[in-house]
Amino acid sequence: MTKYGVLLMVLVFFSSGQLHAYQSEDKLKAAIIGKLAKFITWQTHNRDEFVITVLNNPFDDLLETLYKNKQIKKKPVKIKYINDIKELSATHILYIPHISQRELDTILGSIEGKNILTISDIRGFSQKKGMIQIYFVSQKVKLKINHDVSKNEDLKISSRLLRIATIVENEAE
Amino acid sequence: MKTSKQVLFLIQGLLLTTSLQCFAEEVENIEDDLIDSSLEDLLGMETELKADIGSRSGARNFLESRSPLDVITFDQIDRSGLTSLTDVLRYFVAGFNAPENSKTDGSDHVQTFTLRGMSPDQILVLVNGKRLHTSALLHVNTVIGRGSSHTDLNTIAVQSIEKIEILRDGAAAQYGSDAIAGVINIILKGVGHKNSISVSGGARAKGDGEQYDVNTFLSLPLKYEGFANLTLSMKGEGKTQRAGADRRLEIPEVKTHVGVPKSENFLATFNAEMPLRNDMVLYSHGLFDYRNSEASAFYRTPDPDRALSPEGFLPMINAEVIDYSITAGVNGEIGDGYFWDMSNIIGYNSSKVGIDNTMNYALGMDSPRSFAGGQLEFLQNTFNADLTKTVDSFDISGGFEYRYENYQIHKGDELSYVDKGAQGLSGFLPDNEADKNRHSYALYTDIVYNFNDDLSFEGAGRFEDYSDFGSTINGKLSMGYKVISELLLRASASTGFRAPSLAQSSYSQTVSGLLGPDGQILTKGIFTPDHVVSQALGAKPLKAETSKHITAGFVYQPINDMSFIVDYFFTAVDDRIMLSNDLEGTTEAQKAILAENGVAKARFFNNAVNTETQGVDVKFNYQYTFDNDSVLDFGTWFNYTQNKVTGFNEQHITRENSFAQIDRMENGQPKTALKFLTHYQFKPFDITLNLNRFGEYQQVTTGKAFKFDAAWTVDLDVSYQILDNMLIAVGGTNIFNETANKWKELDGVYYGTNGFLPYSQYAPFGYSGGYYYLRTTFEF
Repeated sequence: MTKYGVLLMVLVFFSSGQLHAYQSEDKLKAAIIGKLAKFITWQTHNRDEFVITVLNNPFDDLLETLYKNKQIKKKPVKIKYINDIKELSATHILYIPHISQRELDTILGSIEGKNILTISDIRGFSQKKGMIQIYFVSQKVKLKINHDVSKNEDLKISSRLLRIATIVENEAE
Repeated sequence: MKTSKQVLFLIQGLLLTTSLQCFAEEVENIEDDLIDSSLEDLLGMETELKADIGSRSGARNFLESRSPLDVITFDQIDRSGLTSLTDVLRYFVAGFNAPENSKTDGSDHVQTFTLRGMSPDQILVLVNGKRLHTSALLHVNTVIGRGSSHTDLNTIAVQSIEKIEILRDGAAAQYGSDAIAGVINIILKGVGHKNSISVSGGARAKGDGEQYDVNTFLSLPLKYEGFANLTLSMKGEGKTQRAGADRRLEIPEVKTHVGVPKSENFLATFNAEMPLRNDMVLYSHGLFDYRNSEASAFYRTPDPDRALSPEGFLPMINAEVIDYSITAGVNGEIGDGYFWDMSNIIGYNSSKVGIDNTMNYALGMDSPRSFAGGQLEFLQNTFNADLTKTVDSFDISGGFEYRYENYQIHKGDELSYVDKGAQGLSGFLPDNEADKNRHSYALYTDIVYNFNDDLSFEGAGRFEDYSDFGSTINGKLSMGYKVISELLLRASASTGFRAPSLAQSSYSQTVSGLLGPDGQILTKGIFTPDHVVSQALGAKPLKAETSKHITAGFVYQPINDMSFIVDYFFTAVDDRIMLSNDLEGTTEAQKAILAENGVAKARFFNNAVNTETQGVDVKFNYQYTFDNDSVLDFGTWFNYTQNKVTGFNEQHITRENSFAQIDRMENGQPKTALKFLTHYQFKPFDITLNLNRFGEYQQVTTGKAFKFDAAWTVDLDVSYQILDNMLIAVGGTNIFNETANKWKELDGVYYGTNGFLPYSQYAPFGYSGGYYYLRTTFEF
């Protein structure tokens, strides 16, 4: 038995493969924020940088690490951190972490018509007039998109993204 | 058979080698991988496995826990092909033991289980983080777990489970009574699961013990990722028969039933969350189980002088178990980051006993052949209010708990207990009836201090006051330190307790009809500790078991997909509650009181012994994706546990006079367990191959300890995704039909190589042999 065992072990040792990698939820969210941009067309932002603004930064230095020397839509990536929505300047993406419903209503109201893609992991975000919601089901990340809101904000979402996400509507007023 | 096993060992070695060579490869830059991956790839990646148990500060990667934690996912459960939770835990967790009880009255119907060889009632079971009630049944026979009334794990439909979190640490300072050997937290399926119907069926290698399971999971999505899920399950199991020939007969033949009882189960589980727009979430979950099972007592040999059934008969003991729990709660956020949660859970368990195909000898030809033996009931209501807040580097949480418990014993029908009562199991007497209540309240706090990303401390404290035995204060300190990003050192020290169950303090089961020396009718059996007879024999009011715990270990995770875990554990328990032997009294005064009360012999629960449990868990896990996108999961788990009785508190329990009981605690369960768990996915195929080694164990009978050998078993499951929404699978547990040792050098009529009880009922993988099944799942 031993010689066959050694033979099989040697065969396997020379087989090739790759790491599977369990990702931390935060790392995956951080990567997806930038990746989503590929599927979005902004009508009014013609800046030299691609700007991602993060409210109450929940990512530590994860975004800097991920997007250092990287480009989105052929533009260098600029990460901005704000602690108050009043500090918000021109941006392509606004990431909103867990906040209260009252704060969320205020923020979404204040950026209406500014052609900003909003992303969050807040429960029910997409039904509460957010645009793209990231959530997790059984260790897999999922997306929900409120297409009505993105259309109202003059953001064009590619059909490829719409196919892999769940499309939701605004809740009834 | 031997060659097949060698091949399997070879395959496992091969998989381990694969793991190691993969580890040797250069680790690519994960960040670059992520940025270069497509969105579809990112959506297909698996995230870290999180667990809620172990700390009140929220879910975290279970590999970064300050206390030893394990998580079993629903994918793993599905691939095991198993349909009972006890079997699932025995399948995955080294050191989790669940023997098959037979000829043990009520214990045949509610399977006992242990973690680290400790008592079943020293394991706290939670559902979605909320305390689950225990069974009303008290195990008073000679089984592993004797003297305990514990949660009946088989009341939970496994198809309703999202994951099982197992905290292998003392945690009574966090969760209250019972969390001494560990805590099992069952997380029910939540949002995002597809509706499904599953059907499985199979039989034992010997052709008996046929099983079927038909279940459906239905999910209704609600607003804001809310959901209302329902799982319904019908399952049945035929009895297995492993009895030997009964040599009491002139021509020996198999008469008694020894094996798994016949049972029918209907289980239902619901789990719902309804988030509201104002940051509040209403939630509710519930479990229901109706079980009917049938096992036998000992065969009554032919007796020509017996008017009724002189040819002999086999009394059958039936249990009708009804179990349910309903939880309702609400949580939300107020102010600046104050998270609150309020919930109430009602749990109920009833066990009704019937005795069929039997008779009461005293009634002669007028004896009925069936009797109602009585009923046990347990009700528990728990209310919790919790508040959590993060302040700078501190996660602070605290709460209040109020619990009410009620335990009842109802007598059997009169003919079931008059004189010597029904053969097989005498009904509960009117004197045994009980209706006892108690309540308790607790205040607790849990503070996590994150000194930095690498170093954290946690302190927990809990004050608890019980209306029956008084108050207790317990504490826990734990720390986690990442020496380097790949290596986490962790340690914890805590105190704990286990409140004596209402069953232990209120249970009595006596049999009358014994003829005294002067012709008077006497009784014998179990008496409550406060009964005058127990008091005369030295019984004292039961007090809580108290415990001290230390764990220390490390998690080495050189890459995200590989972990190597070592944890040492030590638990000392003082005043462990045990059932005494039959006592007749040694002094004249004692004998006089027994005679006054018409009692021949008495047993009662008492805080009899101190014990120490220590050992080590060693785990290795690895996941690897091959170039052809096939994925290999490989895990090894070794557990060593030593249990030692270190002190005796009462003169009626000593190593000498209670040899069988003490030896059962120390040597009745394997000290070692080893598992190689392997899963290989090559779509559309999934192959699961497990190797298990159960260490040796021993059982005492006729005053002598008999050893039983260690054994290897192999489990296999192969599934094929026949359609996008349908899979079929074939598999088996213990596929080479490894059987437990028979008694060696013992040839009694009852226990012995050729007795009608040829196996030890302590056999950690049972003695019914291999089980083979087919299963299919359809999603819609």
